[in-house]
Amino acid sequence: MPVPLLTVDDLAVDYDGAVQALRGVSVRVDAGSVVAVLGSNGAGKTTLLRAISRSLGGVGGAVTAGRIHFDGHDLARRDAAGAVRAGLVQVPEGRRIFRDLTVAENLRAGASTVRDKRAREEAAERVFELFPILAERRHQRGGLLSGGQQQMLAMGRALMTSPTLLLLDEPSLGLAPQLVEQIGDIIGQIHAQGTSVLLIEQNAAMGLRVADRAYVLEVGTITAEGSSAELAATDEIRDRYLGVGTSSTAAATTDDAPDDTTVHLRRSTTARARQLRVEDLTVRFGGITALSTVSFTVEAGTIHALIGPNGAGKSTCINVLGGAYRATSGTVHYGDAEVTAMPSHRIADLGVARTFQNISLSLEATVRDNLLVGRHRVMRTGTAAHALRLPRARREERAEREAVRRIAALLRIEHVLDRAVHTLSYGDRKRVEMGRALAAEPTLLLLDEPVAGMTHGESAVMAEAIRAVQRELGLSVLLVEHDMPFVMGLAERITVLDFGKRIAEGSPRDVQRDPEVLRAYLGTAAA
Amino acid sequence: MSYFLTQLANGLSYGLILGLIAVGFVIVFTSTGVLNFAHGSVLLTGAYLVAVLQGPVGFWAAVVVGIAGAALLGVLINAVLVRNLAEANPGTAAILMLGVDILLLTELTRRIGNRVLPIGAPWGADVVAIGGVTLPTSRAIAAGLAVVVFGLLWFLFARTGTGVAMRAAAADGDTASLMGIRLSRTGAAGWALAGALAAIAGVFLASFPAPGVGPALAISAFAAIPAWVLGGFDSVVGAIVGGLIIGVVTALAVGYESHLHFLGRGLGEVVPYAVMILVLLVRPSGLFGRAEAVRV
Repeated sequence: MPVPLLTVDDLAVDYDGAVQALRGVSVRVDAGSVVAVLGSNGAGKTTLLRAISRSLGGVGGAVTAGRIHFDGHDLARRDAAGAVRAGLVQVPEGRRIFRDLTVAENLRAGASTVRDKRAREEAAERVFELFPILAERRHQRGGLLSGGQQQMLAMGRALMTSPTLLLLDEPSLGLAPQLVEQIGDIIGQIHAQGTSVLLIEQNAAMGLRVADRAYVLEVGTITAEGSSAELAATDEIRDRYLGVGTSSTAAATTDDAPDDTTVHLRRSTTARARQLRVEDLTVRFGGITALSTVSFTVEAGTIHALIGPNGAGKSTCINVLGGAYRATSGTVHYGDAEVTAMPSHRIADLGVARTFQNISLSLEATVRDNLLVGRHRVMRTGTAAHALRLPRARREERAEREAVRRIAALLRIEHVLDRAVHTLSYGDRKRVEMGRALAAEPTLLLLDEPVAGMTHGESAVMAEAIRAVQRELGLSVLLVEHDMPFVMGLAERITVLDFGKRIAEGSPRDVQRDPEVLRAYLGTAAA
Repeated sequence: MSYFLTQLANGLSYGLILGLIAVGFVIVFTSTGVLNFAHGSVLLTGAYLVAVLQGPVGFWAAVVVGIAGAALLGVLINAVLVRNLAEANPGTAAILMLGVDILLLTELTRRIGNRVLPIGAPWGADVVAIGGVTLPTSRAIAAGLAVVVFGLLWFLFARTGTGVAMRAAAADGDTASLMGIRLSRTGAAGWALAGALAAIAGVFLASFPAPGVGPALAISAFAAIPAWVLGGFDSVVGAIVGGLIIGVVTALAVGYESHLHFLGRGLGEVVPYAVMILVLLVRPSGLFGRAEAVRV
C-alpha cells in the first residue's frame, strides 16, 4: 500500500466570492510518484496548484470547502512560505524568474528558507549538475536567458529547498519540441532523486510520458483519472489532448471547430496587405548577436511562420518588426515604407498589429475595454465629441461595440467580455490579446506564440480563427510558434532560425523533411 | 578656484546626506510599494530622540537609541497601518502616509515648541581646511560615514541571503512567497532600514552649520524627493547619484546666487526641482529606472 504524500479532499475554490473555479476536486499524490493534471484552459489547473501551495490570496481566490493534507500536516493553517518550509515548492506558470537578479542570486533567493550554508551549497551543486547551462551562466542576469533556460532556472530555484514535493505549472509552455523532451527527462531525474512531482501540462503527450498517474480536470471538476497508460489509451484523451491521427489542425473534432467561421468582419478603411521584406537583419544586445543577416519575405495576404529552438531569435525578429527593438543593421520594408526607421506607433499606423509572448494587457480592465483600446486606430470621432455624447459619437460607439462583439465571438471569448482580464486563465488572455490586435484592423498581424498554453482542441479553434480573418480581411500573418501540427496545418511558408541564422525556408512539406531542421529543432523523437 | 572647490565639497557632502534619505524612500517603495511621505517625520523623530537623550545618556548612546527608535517607528507604521490596508493601492497608502506625517509632525512640534534643540555632537562647529577648501567637520564625517553605509548596503543586497530575499520580494512578491520568502519580514526589514538611514541623516542635518533640531528638519527631508525621483524611484544607486546631483547643484546655486541675480533670490530651494524636471524630460523613467533592454 503506497503512502499518500499529498491528499486533496473535496476541494472548492471561489474567486472574488463569485466565480467558482473548482468544486469537489480530490487528488492524491503518493510518496515517490509523478502525477499529472491535464485539462483545457480555464479548467482550474493553476487554481488547484495555487490552492495547494497556499498562494491563492494574492490573486483573489479563497478555498471555500475541502481539506489539503501534506505529509501529515493540514495545510489550511499555513501560508505560502509555511508550505515551502513543510517541503512543498511550486514552480509558477510562465517561469517568473527574478529577471534583474543573476542566475546565482535567483538560486540564493530560492534557498532563503535554508539556514545551513553547507546544505545550500550542496543544493546548488545538485542544481548545476542537473542543469549545466546554469553553472555556465551563473553570473548573468536571469532576464537574459532564453525561454528554455529560464524554465531550467525556475525549476532549479525551486529545488534549492530540497523539497519532498515539487509542483510544476506548465513546464513545457513555449518550449521547442527538443527542449520539451529534455525538460521531461529532467523531471524523470528529479523523480529518481527522490522528489515527488505534481505537474500541470497542456502538452498531454509530455505529461503522460513522465507521469505514473494522471487526472483530467474540466470546468473545475475531475472528469477522469487513472494510470497514464490507461488514460493515454482512451479515445477522449486521444482526441482532445493528444491530437493523435490528425496530421493537420483542420481535422479537429467537430465539437471544437467553430460553428460558423464567417464572422462578417469588415474593414472600415480600404487598406490592403503589402509585401513584408526583411533584408540582412542583424540585432546585437551588448555582446550577444541575437540575429545575424536574416532575410525572408512575407508575400501580401499569406500566412508565414517563423520557427526554431528557444533562443533562435524568433521573438527578437518580431520585436524588430513591431518597433520594440532597434535593428543593428539591415532593413525591413512593409510595402514602400521602411519599418526599421520608424517608432512603434508609426508602424502601427501602417497597419501592423502584434501580440506578445509574455502577454501585455490591462489586467484590471475588462476584456471588452481591452478590445476597445485596440479599436483606437480606426475610431474617427474625437475626444470632445465623445465627452459631449454627440449623436455621431454614440453611433460610432454602438458600431465599435458590435465590432468588438464579433471579434470576441470569433475567438470564443464572448462569455468573458465583462470580466476583468486578471481573472482569466493564460490561454484566454492569449485570445484577448489576439482580439485586441485584430480590433485594430491590421493588414499585417504579428503573432508571438498564439497557441502557447492551449490544448490541441483549443489550438484548432485558434487556427480556424486565424484562417477566417485572413480570408475575410485579406491580411498577412507572420507567426512564431512551437506547436508543430498548428504551424504545419496553417502556414503557407516557413522560415527556420537557429542561433540567429536562417537555416531553412520553404513549404511546410519541405521544411519537415529538411535534415538540418530535424536535428536543430524537432529532436531525436521526430528524426 | 578654492571658492568653487569649497562649494563643490559642501555640495557633495550634502548630496551624500540626501542620498541616505533618498535610499530610504527607494527601499520602502521597493519592499512594500509605498510612497513614504511620512519619511520626513520619521527622520525628525530619530533626530529628536538624539537631541533629548544626549544630555542624560551622552551623544553616542543617544545616537544608538535614535537610530533604533526611528527604525522601530518605521516597522510599526508598516505593521499597524500599511499591512492592514484592505487594498494594496499605492495612492491610498501614499495619502495614509501624508496623514501619518501630519500626526507625527504635530506631536513633535508640540513637544519641541519654538525651541531649537542642540544635537550635542562632539564635532560641534569645527571646520576642516585642506588646501584652501573649507568644510564643516560634521559634513566631512557625514560624507565618510555615508560612503561606509552605502558600502554596507551593497554588501547586504549583493552578498547576504536577507538582501537577496529582499530584492527578490521587491521584483516579484508573489513568486518570492512561493519560494518561502516571508513578505512580512522583507517589508519590515525595508522599513527598519529606511528609518535607521533617516535617523543618521537627521543627526547630520541638525549638526553645524544647521542650528539644531526643530520641526523644520522634517521639511528638509523633502529635499531628497527630487533626488529619489530623478534617480528612478526604484534604484538604490539612482538615489545615491540623484542625491549627489541635487546636493552639488543646490550648493552651487546658493554659492553663486549673487552672480545669478537675474534668476531672482532663493534659487537653492527651486533648483532641485528644476533639475528633476529637466532630467525627467530627457529620461522619463529617471537615470536608473526600469526602462532597459528586456525580452519583450
